[in-house]
Amino acid sequence: MIEFDVRTTSDNIGVVVPRGRLNMVAARELRERLTGLVEAGTTRIVVDLAETTFLDSSALGALVAGLKTARQAGGDLRIARPTESVLTVFKLTNLDKVLRPRDDVESAFHG
Amino acid sequence: MLTDTSRTAATETRRQRAIDALGLGVPVEQRRDERFDRITRLATTVFGTPMASITILDGTCAWFPSKQGFDAPLVPREETFCDRAQAADEVTIVPDASVDPDFAELPVVRDGGVRFYAGVPMHDQLGNVVGTFCLFDVMPRTLDSDQRQTLEDLAAWAEQELVASSEMMRAGQVQKAMLPASALEADGWHVEGVCLPALTVGGDLFDFALTDDVIHIGLGDVMGKGTGAALIGAGVRAAVRSTHPAVVSGADLGSTTYRVARTLQGDLDRGGAFVTLFQCAIDVADGTVRYVDAGAGLCVVARTDGTVERLVSSDRPIGILEEDTWTEHRTHLAPGDRMLIFSDGLFDLLEDQREWWREVGSLVARHADPAGVLEAVRDLATALVSLDDVTAVAVYRRPEGAA
Repeated sequence: MIEFDVRTTSDNIGVVVPRGRLNMVAARELRERLTGLVEAGTTRIVVDLAETTFLDSSALGALVAGLKTARQAGGDLRIARPTESVLTVFKLTNLDKVLRPRDDVESAFHG
Repeated sequence: MLTDTSRTAATETRRQRAIDALGLGVPVEQRRDERFDRITRLATTVFGTPMASITILDGTCAWFPSKQGFDAPLVPREETFCDRAQAADEVTIVPDASVDPDFAELPVVRDGGVRFYAGVPMHDQLGNVVGTFCLFDVMPRTLDSDQRQTLEDLAAWAEQELVASSEMMRAGQVQKAMLPASALEADGWHVEGVCLPALTVGGDLFDFALTDDVIHIGLGDVMGKGTGAALIGAGVRAAVRSTHPAVVSGADLGSTTYRVARTLQGDLDRGGAFVTLFQCAIDVADGTVRYVDAGAGLCVVARTDGTVERLVSSDRPIGILEEDTWTEHRTHLAPGDRMLIFSDGLFDLLEDQREWWREVGSLVARHADPAGVLEAVRDLATALVSLDDVTAVAVYRRPEGAA
């Protein structure tokens, strides 16, 4: 199963932490969470993948959709701390060049 | 009982057409279907009846997509309660059939000991009655209003499964028919593919064709699964096919992919989706392989000397950036070389996700023909219960001197 921690920092950056496996079912929820943040006015979002153990193409889809939504609203979406196996999925699709992994959540928008 | 004969005949014609359209006619081989069985099983538990069924009338027969507590593959239609219930198109409850002149002479009552019957008609989207959800008991009984509501709820659930799933099955058949009908064998080359959707339909696709001594192969994966992905996938296949004449006449695969992307852009943007797409064009005479990879990254070549290579590129999937470009690369397949192109559904099933190409390489090396390696892929997907669509295309070039 998957859990999502969602918080907003003092400078209005949304931080989403998916814990567990990001598969088809979880991807739908992730997408809703990301859209929810943007609609609520938080257009800069970091998805912290440190505790995401698995990620499939639906989850990539949710992240890309979130990226598009955030950019359309004038913000951006960044990913931080992917594990090695999750990073493999980004590298296979060459999406690591679009969603460049950041070393930590705090510097994702300030690094 | 039936006074207006002409109106009944018209209703019956329409009803039979609905049965045919949904593919609910008596199947050649009847199989248990858990989706239906769980509803009838629940009905017998909730109501404490020995028997329950989902009954379909097809022509002069009645058959049971699901039945609990009795065994009858086919029953003559006029010998069923359901025939009457469907004609009436309303919930029919018979507390004691043995004393009801309309039902007392039915063989199941006279000889079979059935006393109680309750049947709820099930409809298609246009309101035609396509089946009945039924309860039977060997004791007389009644249903109170709560029980009657529960029965109607179960019938509505069964109706949903019956009608929606029939639609989906047909969609699945249509999608399957869009894949190449058979393997391709020409001039020492053997190309074959398999596509196993996780749901009834899926977002994976592959296509191949030989024209003017060039084999053009495409394998795509629309992000996501199910109907939405399948609809976009049909568009991807059409877009790739439209570039086939250009590809086989030598056009740069980067520019043909750009054309595919332009065609799909609007649909992908609206749907918030993207597509990974691997394509190659193989010259059957000299083994030159031109390929382009829009973000799939999953193609392995197993050489005759035992080495395993990945075909790589740094291009993105289609639908990520508004203005993007793709680059054609080249490799070569010598006699005896083998290539496997696959979707990430198979990747997810591999044990080693870091050096996955070795596992794929040895899978390919172990099987002497494409059918063998694809069978192994199928076994893997079945054994590990894939949650994603699994697709693979195998390309084998016959070794020198082999027949």
